[in-house]
Amino acid sequence: MNDPIMTDMRSTYSKSLIELGKKISDVVVLGADTTDSLKTSGFGKEFPDRFFNVGIAEANLVTVSAGLAVSGKIPFASTYAIFLPGRAVDQIRNNVAYPSPPGKNGLNVKLVTSHGGLSVGPDGGSHQTIEDIAIMRVIPNFRVFIPADTVAVSKLVPLMAEKYGPFYMRMARSKTPLVHSESQDFQVGKGITLRDGSDCTIAACGITVRMALEAAELLQHEGISCRVLDIFSIKPIDDEILEKAARETGCIVTTEEHNIVGGMGSAVAESVSESYPVPIKRIGAQDMFGESARDNEVPLLFEKHGITSINMAKQVKELRNKKL
Amino acid sequence: MGLNYYQIKKNILRARKLVIKGTNTAGSGHPGGSFSMAEILGCLFKNHLTFDPANPRWEDRDRLVLSKGHAAPGLFSNMAVAGYFPESEIETLRKFGSKLQGHPDLKCPGVEFCGGSLGTGLSYSIGIALAAKINSQDHHVFTIIGDGESDEGQVWEAAMTAAKYKVDNLTAFLDRNFIQQDSYTERVMPLDEKLEGDDISEMWKDASRWKTGDKWRSFGWNVIEIAGHRVEQIDAAIKKAKATKGVPTMIISRTVKGKSVEHMEDNPQWHGKAPDSDVVPIINLELDSQFMIAPSIIAGDMTNLENEIRKCVSGRANFIHLDVMDGKFVPNKTFDDNKIKELRSLTSIPFDTHLMIDEPLKHVKNYIDAGSDIITVHAEVTDESSFGDIHDILKQNQVSVGLAINPDTELPRWSYKFLDSLDQLIVMSVVPGKSGQKYIEETHEKMTRLNSILQQHNFSGYIEADGGINLENIGSVFTDGARVFVGGGAIIGQPDVKTAIKDFQDEVLRSRRLSLLEKANQLGGVDLVNKWIGLHVIGEKQEQLKKIAREIGYL
Repeated sequence: MNDPIMTDMRSTYSKSLIELGKKISDVVVLGADTTDSLKTSGFGKEFPDRFFNVGIAEANLVTVSAGLAVSGKIPFASTYAIFLPGRAVDQIRNNVAYPSPPGKNGLNVKLVTSHGGLSVGPDGGSHQTIEDIAIMRVIPNFRVFIPADTVAVSKLVPLMAEKYGPFYMRMARSKTPLVHSESQDFQVGKGITLRDGSDCTIAACGITVRMALEAAELLQHEGISCRVLDIFSIKPIDDEILEKAARETGCIVTTEEHNIVGGMGSAVAESVSESYPVPIKRIGAQDMFGESARDNEVPLLFEKHGITSINMAKQVKELRNKKL
Repeated sequence: MGLNYYQIKKNILRARKLVIKGTNTAGSGHPGGSFSMAEILGCLFKNHLTFDPANPRWEDRDRLVLSKGHAAPGLFSNMAVAGYFPESEIETLRKFGSKLQGHPDLKCPGVEFCGGSLGTGLSYSIGIALAAKINSQDHHVFTIIGDGESDEGQVWEAAMTAAKYKVDNLTAFLDRNFIQQDSYTERVMPLDEKLEGDDISEMWKDASRWKTGDKWRSFGWNVIEIAGHRVEQIDAAIKKAKATKGVPTMIISRTVKGKSVEHMEDNPQWHGKAPDSDVVPIINLELDSQFMIAPSIIAGDMTNLENEIRKCVSGRANFIHLDVMDGKFVPNKTFDDNKIKELRSLTSIPFDTHLMIDEPLKHVKNYIDAGSDIITVHAEVTDESSFGDIHDILKQNQVSVGLAINPDTELPRWSYKFLDSLDQLIVMSVVPGKSGQKYIEETHEKMTRLNSILQQHNFSGYIEADGGINLENIGSVFTDGARVFVGGGAIIGQPDVKTAIKDFQDEVLRSRRLSLLEKANQLGGVDLVNKWIGLHVIGEKQEQLKKIAREIGYL
């Protein structure tokens, strides 16, 4: 594969918010002291009356957003992933997901975080959220996205604004490799087939999508045809694309920078076990916390948890032997 | 404009009874915290909230956020009284399929906030207030938080945020009832000062120990501190809050958990417990038997009525009875509307203006404008037509409507049609116009006659006993059905007005306890008497009740 083009999700998020703000006057943006880091402060410069920095107070961030939403605003509330689902889950559940105006499910709040997963790097295990997907997908009414690249971010931001209801979207801290073409269509609950294949499937999300594509490339050299899916919409999940993959390729490896317990891999396993059970191998944080790693050492941290294209290829080969 | 004093009182009474009905039917729920905020909600719904029950999502409505969501029965009851749904629906509280969930929920049209997780309502209210500011809408957000939930850090995150963003369209009440689930707040997590002894009233009595106001002030809020069961103080505080620009307002309302039902008052056990069915009729009778003491200041120094008013206010009179005499209807002359206007500026305490004047229709507007909250005119100088006009003018101006009858006057037939909307009936027990007279004993029999007429015509107001009321007769006058007691020489003439008022209250309380014991005995004999007495676990109430029960031979 060609060397990847690396782009910054937070810059794209910032740009997308400003574009959205121009189109939809009800869009408001909230932050919790991380607004320069998340680059939402750009929205604040453009629309000072629609931007609120509540300080290091994530519970307050979520609930103030809920109050704005119940009054017809479309709040985008952002900070680091570790501090939003990690810290304010009660407010997320009871103030955003649970309150349902007549005919609606939940309040119209969009929680967008950065610094998800192990790739946070140097800040260490305290900051490397490996639980947020598990936390968020268990809450009714929430829809949960992990974009793989900036194209996905730029498409998902307006999509979340257009669709009523609570959303959670987790971005990565570091620059991420582009995997999608500008013309790629994104829909709630629809996975994307990035590479077709017939011998096995790798279902990936976030920055591991590029790794999955590299693994498929490796496998091709060995004559194994590997399908690669971007399961950016973890909830609702695309049952159809997963069942098809199970039927047609007979085994599925999942990969994510999240705990293998409760993450995207679990969601895939839940779906496939009900539709067309096939052997599944989950790659991700091995139910243990992360640790500090400088940016150039993050691959070592990933390797410790087996989140590498080489391991993905290896797991595919082992899993093929277990096909039913 | 008046205070709607009795209308609010009546609504609060209805709401409290619904709280009892709802929690009893549900078998669980939180009456204690519903009762501590009852006057706040009653005043908000009647006088301040702009809303339309037929269109609960109307854009320009004021928003009421009940952050202390466990007090849901209190909110639902007020909503029922306000017309959001039939009062009978309170019986579905906490049941499967009901919109009246265990905690307030958007499932119920008119509810603005899903309560339940404490400490979050203020943040939510800030969101609503900010949205209104962005939209240049001028509706107001009212939020009620509890003192227990003030343990939550998020309350103080919200406190800072509201000050930063200058949300002056937000007014919060702190329902400061000093009790949370485990125990007294000052024991679990002091907001003022740590409680050392067992007597919560020590926190009440000693204002130097109150620190909560300082906390909110230091967070940049406009703080108003009030007695949270006094409708006039609540009303005045809301007006001040709405007039304050640039900062949010916190109205710290010192309240009593379980207020109005003695065995629930100040009792942490009633934070979250439903009353048993056999006790409900006794509770309802107790709620119907709330009473008020109204000193009549003309019994004092007529050259310094200002001072008499101050003594009544600091003596915790419920309101002040102002006897206006014109020298025609009665031989004496006292003062007129000009004097009332002067006195009005001294205090927000309700003014109960008793017009002993000829041609009241001609003058009534002046007394409204002077700041009366209740105006009573005499049946002897009105007829169906003039009283009808007076009735309508008073109601339009939020002034409670009173009718008075002299000792030798029977309630005129023409007045029957007004009885269901009449707020106050003054039954004179002395000939008006002269001071120092003795209570006319025939009044007791007259009250019996009156009660049957009043009942037949759905009178839901308050009977005020006026004339010769003293510590000897007040108990029996209460038993007759009077609920407001005008005290002349027996209060105002005393060296210590505060003690005199307290003595009046204690006597009525004794009489009330007696009637409640009789009710218990009648409904369930000695077992219910014992059970009901046993519910009174705070302070000396239990011993006092036992003493009365022994005296009347129940124990």
